[in-house]
Amino acid sequence: MNIIPIKAQAGITGFESPASEYQTLPMSLDEILIDHPTATFVGLAVGDSMTSHGIFDGDVLIVDRAARQANMDIIVATLNGVFMCKLYDRQKQCLLSGSDIYKTYQLKEGDEFLEEGIVIRSVRNHRQSTKLAKCLR
Amino acid sequence: MFALVDVNSMYASCEKIFDPLARRTGVIVLSNNDGCVVAMCKLAKAKLGNVKFQPYFKISKQVEASGVIVRSSNYELYSDLSASIMDILSRYSPEQHIYSIDESFLRFQTQPKENWWHLGKEIRRVIWQEVRLPVCVGMGPTATLAKAANHFAKKNRDTGGVCVIDKQNIMAALQGMAIEDVWGIGSRLGKKLRVMAIDDAWKLSQQPAKLMRQQFSVNIERTVRELQGESCLAWDEVRSPKQQIFSTRAFGEKVTDYASLEQSLVMHGEKVAKKARKQGSLIKMMVAFAHSSPFSDGQIYRRNIHHGFFDATADSRDLAIAASAAAKQIYRPGVLFHKSGVGAIELVDGAMYQQDMFSAQGRDPRVMAALDTINQRFGPDSLSLAAKGIQGKWQMRREMKSPNYTSSWLDMVRINCSNIITK
Repeated sequence: MNIIPIKAQAGITGFESPASEYQTLPMSLDEILIDHPTATFVGLAVGDSMTSHGIFDGDVLIVDRAARQANMDIIVATLNGVFMCKLYDRQKQCLLSGSDIYKTYQLKEGDEFLEEGIVIRSVRNHRQSTKLAKCLR
Repeated sequence: MFALVDVNSMYASCEKIFDPLARRTGVIVLSNNDGCVVAMCKLAKAKLGNVKFQPYFKISKQVEASGVIVRSSNYELYSDLSASIMDILSRYSPEQHIYSIDESFLRFQTQPKENWWHLGKEIRRVIWQEVRLPVCVGMGPTATLAKAANHFAKKNRDTGGVCVIDKQNIMAALQGMAIEDVWGIGSRLGKKLRVMAIDDAWKLSQQPAKLMRQQFSVNIERTVRELQGESCLAWDEVRSPKQQIFSTRAFGEKVTDYASLEQSLVMHGEKVAKKARKQGSLIKMMVAFAHSSPFSDGQIYRRNIHHGFFDATADSRDLAIAASAAAKQIYRPGVLFHKSGVGAIELVDGAMYQQDMFSAQGRDPRVMAALDTINQRFGPDSLSLAAKGIQGKWQMRREMKSPNYTSSWLDMVRINCSNIITK
């Protein structure tokens, strides 16, 4: 593994450190977060019904349309016109949150339901990101 | 075997991917400059009739009443989705030529495991699964026949979006294609040919090629030969009738140094500028891109950088500067670049383009740079042509642009993790 150290800036303004060209890590987070680049999109989690699965309000979901399907996947789907994230019981055709507060939703005739992809990874913000803070309402 | 894969109503289809409401209501997309309808989905066509290329203000009341959603063109979104499609297609053959933002040719030297039709169906299925865009696949022994097959697949729903032209069906496929729709024949030539009772692609294919050359041109001769199954068009000569110009090429040897990558992008930029000048167009937005071939784990390094020109241009220097700047953002040490290219994805008609005081002869490039910086800091169109006028209706145009779902963190699609809202 090649790690190129990022030289610390002296704090004296006026002279750019030659290392300031390396503003990003040479190791790309894309490599470990994304499996299928052409089939992946990101979304912002809004709400807290999935906290028991480690997804909190304000987290970034990495959604893969080409991931292999399994029962009880955490999926993103459009249901009756809205993007949502839930646990998907494929056999029983219902959507769960894994928490007692939120009811299980049974899919029925007349529901417009399309599975958009599987949440393969998410970005958990233990400290809030100022950049993302602008997104939050 | 050649294949032509293209997206059905690309801009409109793109707008549905992250907007489930648009799937229900139907959607039309407007060009930013003219405010004309540039794309409609099937549902919108059913509700409004074919209003493509009409100025929006003429039909706005009708559109409002129908509930069809209106969007301004979101080139960054379309171009990102296009890049994904082109990547996916490159898995099926190393010989790929991107002709526009939504069309790509593939050339196959070897037979697929199953038959060609199954390959076409798989391409359609995979693109839908990974990108959620509907495509049609046309295949044939020549590029022109692949295009005809694609046309046939689009017009006939029972083909399931895939058509392979072979000896059995070539007559039926070509008979269903009006002469003006044949690649390389426009409405002007079409009129002349109709006078000669050649009103469809089949009749044209039955003409002696040499005779067509004498009566018309070597280009028409080539078209006839291609319809007859003889591949004679060189890749570079074929031009997309769509309003984009692309120049791309795979590197002979993988490129790892910055200078070579920059050089290739500048070269593509100049080529695109030249093609634009040749057709009398000016470029409003370009995209520069490069990617690696897949790593052992299937990952690809890919970057597309967009550059909008405040002042639409076909000047090679402008494209070269933009391409060079893009190279800085694209390059990464350690990546083996496999392909690079430049595309002009928004073009305006050179004859009709308004020049303003900033673009007078002998313009100072620093003025352009200052304007670009201002618009970048304060938002596009912060500074624009006074000649455009304060068109109240057109202020809406920017608000009708969908969010940059794929290129801006602030615009990420919001995913509801609360209770499910029942109907």
